[in-house]
Amino acid sequence: MPEGILCNKKTVDTKEQLDALLADKNGQQYYEEMNSLDVDTDALWASIQKTCKSRIKTWLEICAHCGLCADSCFYYLANNKDPKQVPAYKIHSTLGEMIKRKGRVDNAFMQMCMETAFAKCTCCTRCGVYCPLGIDMAMMFGYLRGLLFSQGFTPWEMKIGTGMHRIYRAQMDITTEDWVDTCQWMEEEYEDDWPGMKIPIDVENADIMYTVNAREPKHYPEDLAEAARLFQIAGENWTVPSQGWEETSLAMFAGDWGACKLQVESVYGAMERLKPKRMVVTECGHAYRATVIEGPYWAGIKSGQTPVESIHYVEWVAEALRTGKLKIDPAKKIKEPVTYQDSCNYIRNAGLANIPREIMSYIAEDFREMKPCREHNFCCGGGGGLNGIGLYRKQRNVGLKVKRDQILETGAKLVIAPCHNCWDAIRDLEEVYRIGIRWSFLKPILLSMVEVPEHLKPMDE
Amino acid sequence: MFKKIMFATTASPSCDHAARVAFNMAENYDSDLSVFHVLGIPSQGYSMDVIDSRTGERVSYDKDYAQWVVEEMKNTYAKLMEKYSNCTLEALPGVPHTEISRYARKNNIDLIVMGASSKDEESESPAVHRKFAGSTLQAVAKSARCPVLVVGRPAASFWGGFSNIVFATDFSKSADSAFMFARKISKALGCKLHVFHAFDISGMHAGKIMEQYEIEDKMRAAREKIRSKYLPGLRDIDDYEIAVWEGIPYVEIVKYTRENYADLIVMAHHTREPDSEKVKLGSTLEQVVLRATCPVASVNRPDKIKDM
Repeated sequence: MPEGILCNKKTVDTKEQLDALLADKNGQQYYEEMNSLDVDTDALWASIQKTCKSRIKTWLEICAHCGLCADSCFYYLANNKDPKQVPAYKIHSTLGEMIKRKGRVDNAFMQMCMETAFAKCTCCTRCGVYCPLGIDMAMMFGYLRGLLFSQGFTPWEMKIGTGMHRIYRAQMDITTEDWVDTCQWMEEEYEDDWPGMKIPIDVENADIMYTVNAREPKHYPEDLAEAARLFQIAGENWTVPSQGWEETSLAMFAGDWGACKLQVESVYGAMERLKPKRMVVTECGHAYRATVIEGPYWAGIKSGQTPVESIHYVEWVAEALRTGKLKIDPAKKIKEPVTYQDSCNYIRNAGLANIPREIMSYIAEDFREMKPCREHNFCCGGGGGLNGIGLYRKQRNVGLKVKRDQILETGAKLVIAPCHNCWDAIRDLEEVYRIGIRWSFLKPILLSMVEVPEHLKPMDE
Repeated sequence: MFKKIMFATTASPSCDHAARVAFNMAENYDSDLSVFHVLGIPSQGYSMDVIDSRTGERVSYDKDYAQWVVEEMKNTYAKLMEKYSNCTLEALPGVPHTEISRYARKNNIDLIVMGASSKDEESESPAVHRKFAGSTLQAVAKSARCPVLVVGRPAASFWGGFSNIVFATDFSKSADSAFMFARKISKALGCKLHVFHAFDISGMHAGKIMEQYEIEDKMRAAREKIRSKYLPGLRDIDDYEIAVWEGIPYVEIVKYTRENYADLIVMAHHTREPDSEKVKLGSTLEQVVLRATCPVASVNRPDKIKDM
């Protein structure tokens, strides 16, 4: 049974394996090996029999092929209503077919499934909202991704991402030392501007344990400083864990459920070690979904709840504004038209739609909703891991058109996007389509307008 | 004086003058020189695409590519390295200013030398794509614990050493560190130190009219302030001059420098809350860097200067 050196059914658990994958430019060798990767049909069928339970079977069975999901899919709209982009078709021609054939499928079929699952669906769940029978296609695509991963059919970057989680418990190669060092660096960096700002590490029994997206310490460490400053201004008793600080899960996008479990257990471990009252997740959508919504199930926690109450950053912001912990200087509110990108993962799929509206009422004078919005908003175009996959960049860029047009219609030039994936996708859509917009997380916007207590202001010369 | 010098380069011709200065200084002070290049991750999700500094094309990052870039840097700086070989070359992926600052901190660098890249060159850089950010230079200058020497054009009297240094002050706390640096340098190099302040009347363009007596009062006060603040520190400097001019600060600094044949401008760079519009125009430091006929040293903090 031929297995590639890089593209195979094994998980990436050692640094050597990871380095070999990273050294493969654009995944050339990886994808070449994929062409001759055998499908272990027996194992695939055994896995389906074991894991494909009544819910998915029922969904596949009861789909009436009514096509009401078609117009709900941004890919369908962005691709001139191509019938092959209808969500029901996409799932039936892949997972449905795989089950119908009792797992007896070939390499070409698996590659077609991989492309459909990653380049034609971002698992945004919008179609599920519009299905009259409540069929959750995104959930099924997530399941399909897992089956594909177990057979070695996953995009190169996803395979790397899962390896990162398995080795570093983060989506990037950041060690505990790197992380702690970055926290200290940010304290030093802002000591003049933001006197007394600390990033407390491993403090037990804090009110808040704050967790982040690995990209923040890696590429945008100022984000961490901004979070610290806002906690400082709000007078919060908070901490970050030295281990278990990473919220994201490329493993979830890839369907590597083993890595998903390892990743969330590191965060839950930190909760148990430090016993905070609550956990706050940074401005990231899928991180919230992975660690707060899905994670407890991966970790086998029967209640389906995280060990301590966990909230998204926007929930903390809304609460801080509501309770007056953060006060906005009315003169500094955003005057220009501004819109908000509802992240699928914490708005549609976790019900936080009212929260951003509350925040916007405090910080913006001319807030303009996208149409549609809230639970009905379209995916940014980069969700589900798609932002990171070079192989499907073209397909992604076509998909971005829907978000572009939505933003243009608002007339706003500023988009607030408190989600790393959305932020990236909107930045990239500006790069591809040049519509003259700006985009931002909430933290820098809040810092530009929040009232700072006298004793926290920088000492004037 | 500078045990560890870091030359942060775009590895493009805009850094050639800076390269000569960096190698020359390293040779003079027998310093460890790190030649450091950041392969800017431009965007496209979290993929590892970087912009090739030679071709301007988007290429995919891996260790081989980084190694190849290092080899290219070796070729670019071959002549300089022949003369002074105590240097290491490194290329890393990331957001340039973040990685430069991180490296300087981690390696306890005493002086960062940078070229003055034009705004055009940076228009595609991730700095632009990061909220309301300014240029790499601005971010590095703000964050660095050590002096940052920006070389846009080569020093006029490169062969003959330094004769005049202009210390441009805005009386800020950071300027105290810049003064300490300027004083030590002019003492070490035995050259004249000009303590200069430009009184900002740029508000007049916006219709904020000031009476002439008012301007003169302010200038007199500035001169007084220079005397009280800096004179004690000038006792052991043989040759110094104090001057206060009025105008748009960067224009006046550049003009004064030119008229006094200065070889180096020392100033602080401190924008506390960069406002998006102001950042677009560039800070006084950036404007001076782009326009001055000599290198500019930005000094914000005392850490590395105390023991110099």
